[in-house]
Amino acid sequence: MAVSASDIRSALSLPSSSTPVQSAAPGPRKSQVTKKPEGISRELYALIGPSAPSLVAHLAKPRLKQKPNFGSGGKVKWEWRPFRNAGRTDSLQLGHWVKATDDPDAEYPFAKYNVQSQSYTYSQEEYTRFLEDKDWTKDETDQLFNVVREYDTRWYVVHDRYEPPPDGSPRSLEDLKDRYYSVCRKLIRNRPWAGDEASKAQLLNSYQFDKDRERMRKDYIASLEDRTPEEIAEEEALFIELKRLEQNERKFKKERDELLRTLLGIDSGLPDIVAEEDGLSALSAEGFKKRKKNANEIEIPSTPSNIISLGPPPPKRAHSAKSAAYDAQHCIIRVEPPASSTTKITHTPVHLRSFKLPAPKATLLPKVTQALTELGINHTRLVMPTRENCARLESLIEATTALIDTKKVVDRVEQDIRVLRVRLGRASEGTEEDGKEGTPMEVDAGAGAGAGADADADADADADADADADADADADAEGEVDGRAQSILSTRSGRGRKQNQSRRSISVSSIGTSASARVGKRQKRG
Amino acid sequence: MVNYGGDEVSALVLDIGSSSVRAGYAGDDIPKAIIPSFYGYKATTGDGDVQMGENAPEIFESTTKPTPSDAKLYLGQNGPSIWREGMEIGNPLRDALIFDFNPVPALISHALVDVMRVNPSEHPILVTEPAWNTAANRERMAEIMFEEFHVPAFYIANTGVLNAFAAGKGSALVIDVGHAMASITPVVDGFVLRKGMVSSALPKLVQAHARHILSNPTQTRRGIELLPHQLIANKLPVEPGALPKFSLREDRISGTTESWRVWCESREVDEWIQSVAGVLDQGWNDQAAASRPARQYEFPTGYNTYFGPERYQVGEQFFFHSPQLVAQNPNLPKNIPTLLSESLRACDPDLRQVLMGNVVLTGGGSLFPGFADRLEAELSRNFPHVKIHAPGNPIERRYGGWLGGSILASLGTFHQLWISREEWQEHGKPIVGQRCK
Repeated sequence: MAVSASDIRSALSLPSSSTPVQSAAPGPRKSQVTKKPEGISRELYALIGPSAPSLVAHLAKPRLKQKPNFGSGGKVKWEWRPFRNAGRTDSLQLGHWVKATDDPDAEYPFAKYNVQSQSYTYSQEEYTRFLEDKDWTKDETDQLFNVVREYDTRWYVVHDRYEPPPDGSPRSLEDLKDRYYSVCRKLIRNRPWAGDEASKAQLLNSYQFDKDRERMRKDYIASLEDRTPEEIAEEEALFIELKRLEQNERKFKKERDELLRTLLGIDSGLPDIVAEEDGLSALSAEGFKKRKKNANEIEIPSTPSNIISLGPPPPKRAHSAKSAAYDAQHCIIRVEPPASSTTKITHTPVHLRSFKLPAPKATLLPKVTQALTELGINHTRLVMPTRENCARLESLIEATTALIDTKKVVDRVEQDIRVLRVRLGRASEGTEEDGKEGTPMEVDAGAGAGAGADADADADADADADADADADADADAEGEVDGRAQSILSTRSGRGRKQNQSRRSISVSSIGTSASARVGKRQKRG
Repeated sequence: MVNYGGDEVSALVLDIGSSSVRAGYAGDDIPKAIIPSFYGYKATTGDGDVQMGENAPEIFESTTKPTPSDAKLYLGQNGPSIWREGMEIGNPLRDALIFDFNPVPALISHALVDVMRVNPSEHPILVTEPAWNTAANRERMAEIMFEEFHVPAFYIANTGVLNAFAAGKGSALVIDVGHAMASITPVVDGFVLRKGMVSSALPKLVQAHARHILSNPTQTRRGIELLPHQLIANKLPVEPGALPKFSLREDRISGTTESWRVWCESREVDEWIQSVAGVLDQGWNDQAAASRPARQYEFPTGYNTYFGPERYQVGEQFFFHSPQLVAQNPNLPKNIPTLLSESLRACDPDLRQVLMGNVVLTGGGSLFPGFADRLEAELSRNFPHVKIHAPGNPIERRYGGWLGGSILASLGTFHQLWISREEWQEHGKPIVGQRCK
């Protein structure tokens, strides 16, 4: 809690420490208090005072997004208002609650849903001319059209509500539909048509009804429902059997494909072939070809479909002298496809040469680009991608890449030399010989991992010499255990002491690489 | 407002059923007024003791003759259930149809004016009717509404359709098991298929069967006296199965009419059914019935006992009738599976699958424990894809017809269908048949 000193004083009813000062400056203090910015507590403000004007901007109350204004100030006045429904033919007035702001003269919003379906009517004359039917009297047809209009062609309801005359036979749903649609079709066909023929045909099409087909369909449904449980069970059993057979066949086909693939490889013409070894594909391409000729006769009767899909074997590349001459004449250069790979993935389709311009590796791309721009060469756009040009571009990029690689190596070596120089300078206070001796050793340690262990043993010896007096004995004992390091340790043990005296620690870089070996040794020692 | 299609015009919905009259505002989810359809009456003109000679206790009919128009009526919750000397009990409905219009205005007035405290002349009113209602009946209802209650607008809608609407469906096969009638109504696009509509007085058979079980002695107990608590002065607690210790109110015995007594007894039977009876969900099976726990029930006399398998025999009457029972009663009400197959046979083959996927179970009689499960078991035995909509909420199940009416009458698009007073005066009775299809 931030409590100002004056607060504590007032709480403990102590006299103010600076009463005269306060009494002297009540006016300005008051005015400052009134300027206290919003969003900052009084206590905090008392502590920091008005001396931080930048705070004012930060702590000003954030302006929130303006609240949406629903209606007029959140209050909506509703009133009970009588209304007339335009969907009604009479003057019935019902009342409902509406917003007082709504337009009282607006049309009733639900009146627009009162849509009447369009229906056909016919005159007496039309009926006698086109619509006579031996199965239907005019009264029946009239009644049918009335019912259809009344129930908006909901046929199930129409069928339910249509009542045949007492002497007439009951009509089926198909009879009713057939009669209605045929009358509509006849009316469309025989009445003058304002639009084009296509729209007329379309309208006629929408009144198409095939009574016999519908009846047959319904019979099928009925027979489907009339099945006894035994029949249903039998059908289900048959269905399962069928599925099983299909599955068997699929399995058989898969196995056969597998076999073909194993025997023929890419030549089997089957999709999704896995990549095969060079030797095997070579075998399939060359050695198998002769054998296949013999095998064809045997295979044809058993798997005719597959042989067809195989197609003729790929033609052997036998370039006669004539074709070579032809090529030379027409400047055709044949490129050998990469023979080593037979997978689909490495297959290269026909392409323009300019699409396959050589490009440097993505990691080197910026450097190559930079180098080439330094030289003033634009490699991205080849004006004439002839074969020679492409080859030259490729060699250029290769050369640039090599140059960059070389430069990198040079940079690294230079850096190493610089580092070593610095180190050499530091070591100059030690003996000159030691320094010279040390440099190759360190390079050796940094270069090879194998040498790391040696240098590590060296460092160990250093540390041990630091720690205890009998470092030599210890190192010797360890050297006996550690077969590989033995000779080095024994030869350096004497020198280790000398190094210890000169406080030189070498082969620092190798410690990290052989940490595990070190740990093992320490454990042994401990 | 237009988005959800509702527009309240403060319409009233009135649903007159065999056991209760439901009334309320359109747009509500529960009727405001639920009063019994039974009413008590005392004939003021001398002939006070109307004896009902051939009153068959097996199938209960409240009255066989219409109530005299000048009789004093006792309506509502405090009407028939209070003992009054010489009070007869009547019900204006028979087979869910109104056959006696004399007390109907009084019943409606009691529900609307006395319970709901509304002025019917200010509100359009939607009344329900069963699917087998006659044209004369609905016209008479319209006449009562316009001429006696002076409603501004009127509409009469079919309970089958309304039950489908209450379930949120336009097409459905509505299985409605009420107090007096069980019916199956195919509804397509909001229209009843009259040819596929079937009904039977099955709930009465179930009640008669229950009464038979209770009043006839078995090996373990004697026949149970179905005396209402209104006739019992005091009673003492007894062990289950022991003889009851109670004393009758002798002063009331002589003044009790036969119709009131029959009504009370049927009420006792109903209460017993509601608290004890059930349906086995996988068809009748003696072992399954025996394995269910027995349930204790105490009658107003203080007699109490445990009811075991017999409580499942009651519900079984809905689904299966034993051959000897059928042989004895040639005009036995048809059970639910028979009604179903009859109804579906009359429907188009194309429709059957649609209807079976939209079965709506409704009506207070369907609240038997296990009824919906049993129905599902029965249906899925014969049809591959059956989906039953059975609201778990008892209010929705019992008052589905009222609820559908409440939904319908609060729709903005419905308001053009009202028969207005002006149209009634202009066209007369035929307008009802034309408008309410």
